[in-house]
Amino acid sequence: MPLKKESNKNKKIVENLEKQIGKNKISTKISDVISYSYDYWPISLHWILKKNFRIVPIAIVWPNSTEDIRKIIQICFKEKTPVYPFGGGSGVLGALSPEKEGIIIDLKRIRNIKINIENLLVECGAGVNGHYLESYLNNKGFTLGNIPQSLYPSTVGGWVGTKAIGQFSTRYGGIEQMVTGLEIVAPPGKVITLKPYPRTATGPDLRQFFIGSEGTLGVITKIWFKIWPNPEKRVKLAFISGNLKQAIDSIRNIMQTGARPAVVRIYDKIETKRHFYENEDIIGLVLTIIIIEGNSKIVDAETQIIKENHQGKQVKTEIVDHWLKTRFNVKEASEFVPMGVVFDTIEVAVGWNDAIKLYENVIKSMKQIKGVIFASAHASHFYPQGICFYFTFAGIPPVREKVVDFYNKVWKTAMDSTVENGGTISHHHGIGRQKTPWMNDELGQEGFVLLKKLKKCVDEKNIMNPGNMGV
Amino acid sequence: MKGFKTLSRLPIILKFLKGKIKGPDDITKCTLCPNMCRNACPVGIVDGSETTSPSGKSKIGFLLRENVLEKNKENIFPMYMCLSCGCCENYCPFNFSVSDILHLIKTDVVEKGIIYDEFKKVLDNLEKYGYPYGPLKIHEAIKPITINPRQRILYLSGCIFRENNPEVISKTLNLFAKLDFNVSTISKEKCCGIPAYNIGDMKIFKDLAKNNTKIINGFKPDIVVTSCPSCALAYRILYPKNGFDINTRVLHITEFLMENISYLKLKKEKNMDVTFHDPCKLVNSLKKPNVFSEFLKKIYNENVVKPWRSGENTFCCGYGGSSICRIKPELADEIALERITELIDFSNTIITACPSCKLAFENAKKSIDKEVNILDIVEFVDSLQNK
Repeated sequence: MPLKKESNKNKKIVENLEKQIGKNKISTKISDVISYSYDYWPISLHWILKKNFRIVPIAIVWPNSTEDIRKIIQICFKEKTPVYPFGGGSGVLGALSPEKEGIIIDLKRIRNIKINIENLLVECGAGVNGHYLESYLNNKGFTLGNIPQSLYPSTVGGWVGTKAIGQFSTRYGGIEQMVTGLEIVAPPGKVITLKPYPRTATGPDLRQFFIGSEGTLGVITKIWFKIWPNPEKRVKLAFISGNLKQAIDSIRNIMQTGARPAVVRIYDKIETKRHFYENEDIIGLVLTIIIIEGNSKIVDAETQIIKENHQGKQVKTEIVDHWLKTRFNVKEASEFVPMGVVFDTIEVAVGWNDAIKLYENVIKSMKQIKGVIFASAHASHFYPQGICFYFTFAGIPPVREKVVDFYNKVWKTAMDSTVENGGTISHHHGIGRQKTPWMNDELGQEGFVLLKKLKKCVDEKNIMNPGNMGV
Repeated sequence: MKGFKTLSRLPIILKFLKGKIKGPDDITKCTLCPNMCRNACPVGIVDGSETTSPSGKSKIGFLLRENVLEKNKENIFPMYMCLSCGCCENYCPFNFSVSDILHLIKTDVVEKGIIYDEFKKVLDNLEKYGYPYGPLKIHEAIKPITINPRQRILYLSGCIFRENNPEVISKTLNLFAKLDFNVSTISKEKCCGIPAYNIGDMKIFKDLAKNNTKIINGFKPDIVVTSCPSCALAYRILYPKNGFDINTRVLHITEFLMENISYLKLKKEKNMDVTFHDPCKLVNSLKKPNVFSEFLKKIYNENVVKPWRSGENTFCCGYGGSSICRIKPELADEIALERITELIDFSNTIITACPSCKLAFENAKKSIDKEVNILDIVEFVDSLQNK
């Protein structure tokens, strides 16, 4: 494992940081710099097992105030040193597996929470743990409704930085619909406060400009979120269909009535078998699970609409309980990566008219790669206009083929196929380093150039997560 | 031949799926996890560092084991940033306790003589006196006893109460007497060995376990009752696991009181609300997540206000695990302050059932501008008794 050498410039930066924000908030220990050298990009798991990963942090800093962050950015701007804002590190696309040496800002010590009950708002430090926030709110009678699979390890700042979404999104929306205000520290060390309003028509929405910027524009330090009263009622439903088209058409009809079930998940035949193998009567079929929650009168009406519009056969709701119980069981990587299996998930979105075509072609393209053992998908987020597919593939690289090459080959075919079939390359994992090659396809040449120019305008010395997203 | 290796590996994976071969070991699995229990880990939340997050610690442990990282005092530090609270286990898809995973690394570094000075002092005291704080404190309440054939309970107060709260020991003995139990104590009661176990010194732990097992079994009690859930964990689970069997039931005081609740003669009037802190060792190590709250509710009804984060979701006081309070006391106190601040939202009277928790909160309350009353379960029961 290559250990980094301490340069005079790095030494100067560390000394300066220590002077400005205090020695106890900074570490250059090898155990710390290793821990912050990568995120949860599946490729990095192979690096760990091979004990061969690059170490890029010069130092880790744990600020506990916006003022600390302002000083850090000022120093790094002056020294032209890269800065990487770090939340829970659960990103899966390498947004925090950087190439260049820099300073890691871990935000997890900024975690104050303040509820405004009258306006149904919560003000959070960016480092608040996702599950901590949701439990805290539930205890006070509220919910944010953002329940990603990474709820336990992730932070609210990470959610906003990556434009995340939760399992209950069909009712509560993506994170961009939950944010009403933001505080950001951007180079050369300026604090930008975008106050929380119910709505504001004051030019282009800068909040949306920073949401999903993955640390490339500044450090998100504070967020104001909309919250809701805890749901009064919850109804669980499950349906089986003979084919994917029937299930997808049913949900399209339901979504286009205006009903907003909190959770909708459609599993293709392979995933129905993989996730619900204990229920023999549904093997070989397409499973749809639905959770409706909120005000009891609205829930009753939505339940009726769903039952009337779903063309499948209703089955026992214990299947939904099983999903609720197992939905955070993230164990495949731990079990299979050490056995040489390459495993990942790819989430894309597409309009209803291209949904089946995209599903079939992406699966087909991944299966064509030699070494792929299986490729499957479920649909997990829905809109009146379309659907998000969440593909999973697993495989073993053929002999003489490197893990990274095999991994990238499967990714390339899946991304190319998504673009060819009218889909967007990312629904909620963001871009990171893995999806960068398709940014041009996604935004168009002019759009991508504009994004790069905007980045340069905010971050003229390119110190904020350089290399990420291709900007 | 291209692709042959793919095909040749498939049967191995299928065998693994069918449970016929063992997969990766625990530390490897934990290393490759995205920290699915971070939310439950007080260190992960309050320290806010990847290195001391649950899977972060395993990652460093893995790299130490694989000799990627040199085993030295700087690199082993994250191994000791664990409260051994077991809260991670409740969220782990594999039901791992990070504390158990790290224990193997800790025993290895102790065997190699890589030990912090703060630990050396404790280990020296345990070896010399059988007491982590130095020469054993003898209290009047804990009189040397002679074996009485009618004795039923052997009460073991534990080192923390002996050192800091002898008044709770007296109250506990009074309580046994009021319940008409014959009680024995060991005036020179030695430490159960948990600090040595947590540090990773298995020799000292086993020496203490051997000695204590002989003495305890010699009393032939019907029940052993401890004030400290860590002592109960040692006598009930860790001793047998290491080959030392206590020949009788070992109960934590909460379990004992629950069994004898019908004999308690308590006042009916209740003039204040109280809240409680579930000790992590009782909840997770002894697997009794509800016994404490159920007991309190039975004796104090609706005046017991359930706090946010109780039962399996409890949040360690910060003083568990024997190490953080010794090598990073400011973090232990920060965790304790966080927990007490959370609890006083529910009531200014906090009942707990663990000497470490009481000690942690007594220290933390000094930083709070509010009058806070921290009571051990026995002190609370004592205050409710018809005098």
